[in-house]
Amino acid sequence: MAEAALAHHRVDYNDDVVKKFIIASVFWAIAAFLVGVYIASELAWPRLNVAPYLNFGRLRPVHTSAAIFAFGGSALIGTSFHVVQRTCRARLWGGDALANFVFWGYQMFIVLAATSYLMGFSKSREYAEPEWHLDLLLVLVWVCYLLIYMGTLMKRVEPHIYVANWFYLSFIITIAMLVLVNNFGIPISPYSAKSYSWFSGVQDALVQWWYGHNAVGFFLTAGFLGMMYYFIPKAANRPIYSYRLSIVHFWALIFIYIWAGPHHLLWTALPDWTQTLGEAFSIMLWMPSWGGMINGLMTLSGAWDKLRTDPGLRFSVTAVGFYGMSTFEGPAMSIRDVNALVHYSDWVIGHVHSGALGWVAYITFGAMYYLVPNLWGRQGLYSVRLAAWHYWLSTLGIVFYISSMWVAGLMEGLMWRAYDHFGFLKYAFVQVVVAEHPFMVIRMLGGVMFLLGALMMVYNFWMTVHSETTEAPRADMIPAGALAAAGE
Amino acid sequence: MGFETGDIVVGLMVAALGLLGLFLAAGAWDGEMYLFGLVLAGFAVVFDFGLLRRHYDRVDAARGGADHG
Repeated sequence: MAEAALAHHRVDYNDDVVKKFIIASVFWAIAAFLVGVYIASELAWPRLNVAPYLNFGRLRPVHTSAAIFAFGGSALIGTSFHVVQRTCRARLWGGDALANFVFWGYQMFIVLAATSYLMGFSKSREYAEPEWHLDLLLVLVWVCYLLIYMGTLMKRVEPHIYVANWFYLSFIITIAMLVLVNNFGIPISPYSAKSYSWFSGVQDALVQWWYGHNAVGFFLTAGFLGMMYYFIPKAANRPIYSYRLSIVHFWALIFIYIWAGPHHLLWTALPDWTQTLGEAFSIMLWMPSWGGMINGLMTLSGAWDKLRTDPGLRFSVTAVGFYGMSTFEGPAMSIRDVNALVHYSDWVIGHVHSGALGWVAYITFGAMYYLVPNLWGRQGLYSVRLAAWHYWLSTLGIVFYISSMWVAGLMEGLMWRAYDHFGFLKYAFVQVVVAEHPFMVIRMLGGVMFLLGALMMVYNFWMTVHSETTEAPRADMIPAGALAAAGE
Repeated sequence: MGFETGDIVVGLMVAALGLLGLFLAAGAWDGEMYLFGLVLAGFAVVFDFGLLRRHYDRVDAARGGADHG
């Protein structure tokens, strides 16, 4: 009886705000990849550093913020609004004005942050460069986002809270906590953009990396796992392989991740026991991470053939593969002896990008290839073949990127620690930089491939929305027999 | 058709942000804070006008529906 009532419960979802976030996410993806290619070129050819606005120091946070917060953040907020409405059978809480404020407020924050970096303002904290006034604006927007999400969960019609919502909610709440603590600082005046951190010395470093690693854990992992838990079952038309595993690995993941930050400070002035704590929890993280990977991959059981025909699903499944790979690599890198070789080297950049491109961007592309035709009411994608080209070109780009960085990183680590028989360093720093040049060029080419693939996706989406070939047939145009068949 | 509560609350909050932006721009010590204040004020004006426009769009749509009903 109750199920029958639910089946007939029609909800007018707020899809406008979801569409806006998807468009913004696609726009910021191109911006992030373009700036990434430019700064990769700067590292290969330093003359491209045009001071002051286009030098590496100012453009690098523009790239990271555009990739993580603008592209990834817009995708996360947009898909979370889509998922929470569908899985709760409820329209977003708080009205359209509040949802619009979250959208436009978040976009304004991104534009202002990028502008401030170019003007030379930065707190110099990794992934937390915006100055105090921008942090406060972000907090206001984030609180509104949390209110909408919680409010929608509380007015849900579905009795159960689907697991994707747990992941999204942990992302929203933990990011709020991380941003508040990490950015705790004192402005020199309410009328100045300059501030100083409340913390100092090694405590400041620890707080920063507690934030930094959990930005990876809760922004780039938990949030996108929420995306995975909704869009892979939808695209594969299969239930999750193990709902119990999803709950177990959720709680294990959020309990363990929060302790792993000190692995960014191995071999530093941080107390030894704290370093060991970070190292031990990082290795323990392997299990809950792979719990998610196994659950994502096994959901495809009985539907692997769909990978041949659905490039969106191919993106999602490859993303889960990259997630497994980079969450194996991370714990390995936090073992002290491995860390002694790879820390500060380009291996770290390769590791970050196998996660950012292979996991974050691919799971987002997979969700977008599913969402765009559905949200805009089209029959399907404009070109499946073009989406397949996007997949193969960008995958080749990732391979170029991460393999060149692995080799460059190993080479750097080995050259930095090489001694001659008198006990002197064998190589000057500049010799290492010169040796790296070919790998910098290969990395830049990988980035160009990834950018070209994303441009193909933009064209495909544009044509999907505007082309006559993708128009859904109108009810009055469908032959009478077809309606009966569809109802069978 | 009256104003929705959500529109009023969000509209007032954004108006307060805009006002704060004007104070920040007026007393700014550096270009960054000046720009931030002005953008905040401009955002508030555009956002609140957008709320008004959408409200009257809904009123017109309801009136059009009633006329044709």
